[in-house]
Amino acid sequence: MLSPLQLEEFEQIDFLRDRHVRFFQRTLQVLPERYASLETTRLTVMFFAVSGLDVLDALDVIDRNNMIEWIYSLQVLPTEDQSNLSRCGFRGSSHIGIPYSVKGPGVLHPYDSGHVAMTYTGLTSLLILGDDLSRVNKQACLAGLKALQLEDGSFCAVPEGSENDIRFIYCAACICYMLDDWSGMDIQKAIEYIRGSMSYDNGFGQGAGLESHGGWTFCAIASLCLMGRLEEALSQRELDRIRRWCIMRQQSGFHGRPNKPVDTCYSFWVGATLELLDVFQYTNYEKNRNYILSTQDRLVGGFAKWPDSHPDPLHAYLGLCGLSLIGEPNLRKVHPALNITQRAFQHLQQLQQTWRDNAGTCT
Amino acid sequence: MFYRDRKEWADLEPVPQDDGPNPVVKIAYSEKFSDVYDYFRALLKKDERSDRAFALTAEAIELNAANYTVWHYRRVLLQALQKDLREEMRYITDIIEEQPKNYQVWHHRRMVVEWLNDPSEELEFIADILSQDAKNYHAWQHRQWVIQEYKLWDNELEFVEKLLEEDVRNNSVWNQRHFVISHTTGYSSPAILDREVQYCLNQIRKAPHNESAWNYLKGILQDRGMSSHPGLLEQVLELKETHCSPYLLAFLVDCYEDALENNNQKETLNRALEVCEYLAQEKDTIRKEYWLFLQRSLESRFECIDVLLCQGISPLLKSDIKNGV
Repeated sequence: MLSPLQLEEFEQIDFLRDRHVRFFQRTLQVLPERYASLETTRLTVMFFAVSGLDVLDALDVIDRNNMIEWIYSLQVLPTEDQSNLSRCGFRGSSHIGIPYSVKGPGVLHPYDSGHVAMTYTGLTSLLILGDDLSRVNKQACLAGLKALQLEDGSFCAVPEGSENDIRFIYCAACICYMLDDWSGMDIQKAIEYIRGSMSYDNGFGQGAGLESHGGWTFCAIASLCLMGRLEEALSQRELDRIRRWCIMRQQSGFHGRPNKPVDTCYSFWVGATLELLDVFQYTNYEKNRNYILSTQDRLVGGFAKWPDSHPDPLHAYLGLCGLSLIGEPNLRKVHPALNITQRAFQHLQQLQQTWRDNAGTCT
Repeated sequence: MFYRDRKEWADLEPVPQDDGPNPVVKIAYSEKFSDVYDYFRALLKKDERSDRAFALTAEAIELNAANYTVWHYRRVLLQALQKDLREEMRYITDIIEEQPKNYQVWHHRRMVVEWLNDPSEELEFIADILSQDAKNYHAWQHRQWVIQEYKLWDNELEFVEKLLEEDVRNNSVWNQRHFVISHTTGYSSPAILDREVQYCLNQIRKAPHNESAWNYLKGILQDRGMSSHPGLLEQVLELKETHCSPYLLAFLVDCYEDALENNNQKETLNRALEVCEYLAQEKDTIRKEYWLFLQRSLESRFECIDVLLCQGISPLLKSDIKNGV
């Protein structure tokens, strides 16, 4: 029989699965107006919730088919005359005002185009929900992707122009990996940009000369892994140095840059990078777990960046992924490069096998 | 007053958002918010180029400064209507001061600076943003862009030194130091390299537990011979007695590793293994498993020559195999 003090301690560090399920359910429904800044990225918020439910093995609480339809309504499809191919992909939301439609041809609109992070999270969300991607216009997505790569190898987010950096290389690599087609990017140039982003301290910045950071280091290493070029792009010496930079990020949980406070999301960004580099096993799981759980919101569910702060979908999802990496019971394993569950990854592999088989039989 | 009730807007049919029968992650907008954006969508559809459109973008931005489509449309209008870009600089300055961690506002500022081809306000503006948050990644990124694009290197090292005096642990500033020097004098001259090494050691004496300083020191030496820099190892061993830290000890291990690569000596290897043990068991226990792993790696890579001879194996051949030759 546990004493009251022991019971209290147990409650402090236990994982509140049901609260997190409800947190993600609410996220998928309606958010208050103060979340307005998320409008153009609603599809990424959906990904956090849907993938989070997958990690929790709770996808049964949502209506998958309705969600799949909504995602397809965000696809920017080619117009009749195919004049907008370089703008194809997925939108983050309906904010431009295109009338709801899940099929083509696309509607010509002067400002409608896909966004690389939305194409990436659109595809992953479809996969997680069990869709077979048969309604994705793959060639159009890849044409849209190709239009976003710059001379220096990095990518913009949208064809109208935006900032360009390593985040969008990661999105592009995920898209090509999922569609099993690398014609959408110049891999060599992307590798050059990634290498150029390596800092003197052996982490990766958002671009050349910029401060090394856990998020960008994840983008760099995960992209190279997805491309299958990790050991071609980086020497053993460089890989060892990167391992050292990453492993020094653990303070209790992880931070993203030296001398900055820890933040739950880096338990995934840095943790997954360490896993891809085969040294996550040498981190301190207990301290990592204790930190992540200290940011758990016991009332509304989800996780925040810091203890006693408001939870949000990103930290809720990445906190779960951080726990999954250390083998927290009852959480599905996460593919550290693609950032979906191994279950969803296996679904992707089966799909890709079907595509290869069909390509073989078509003459 | 809502746009839908204004007679100057009566010619325009508002365009609502359409998420279909089962919206996901729907945001519950107030009437005011929806009204502004319904008219924004109407303008976009027509690709209207007018002052009323330009004015509306400011309202849309105030409601959601992260909407990149609004910013893009505003830039189209800035050019189409030949708007005063100096005034736009004042506008974007105010917005960034309010929302310094938003990607779109910094990108917009960069575009306006490029159009004006005038970076003259930038360094002071960025310094002001940094005075509020000295590690704002967007601010440092914009600063590096301006400096590199317009060749404004002259006073940057002085700026770096001032900020390091304020906070010697600011990793962004150490990064900026490397950025400036590598793009100006470089590190090849022994005089510069030694100046930087001594600068680091001085900062470490003042604040020993500072990963940024140690990372910088290792960074500038790691491909220029850590163990061969005159007197460095001795200085570090001296510091170990009074200013020890996990970073100092890790640096020592790296020095020994560098020495071993050039001259595989049993004594050096033993020292390296000892420091790994010290880190694992006492000075950096959170990374215990990593330091033990590193210890095993070093052992395996630099196994002693006399051990090999006892095993009757040609040491040269075995080390060739280990090093993948």
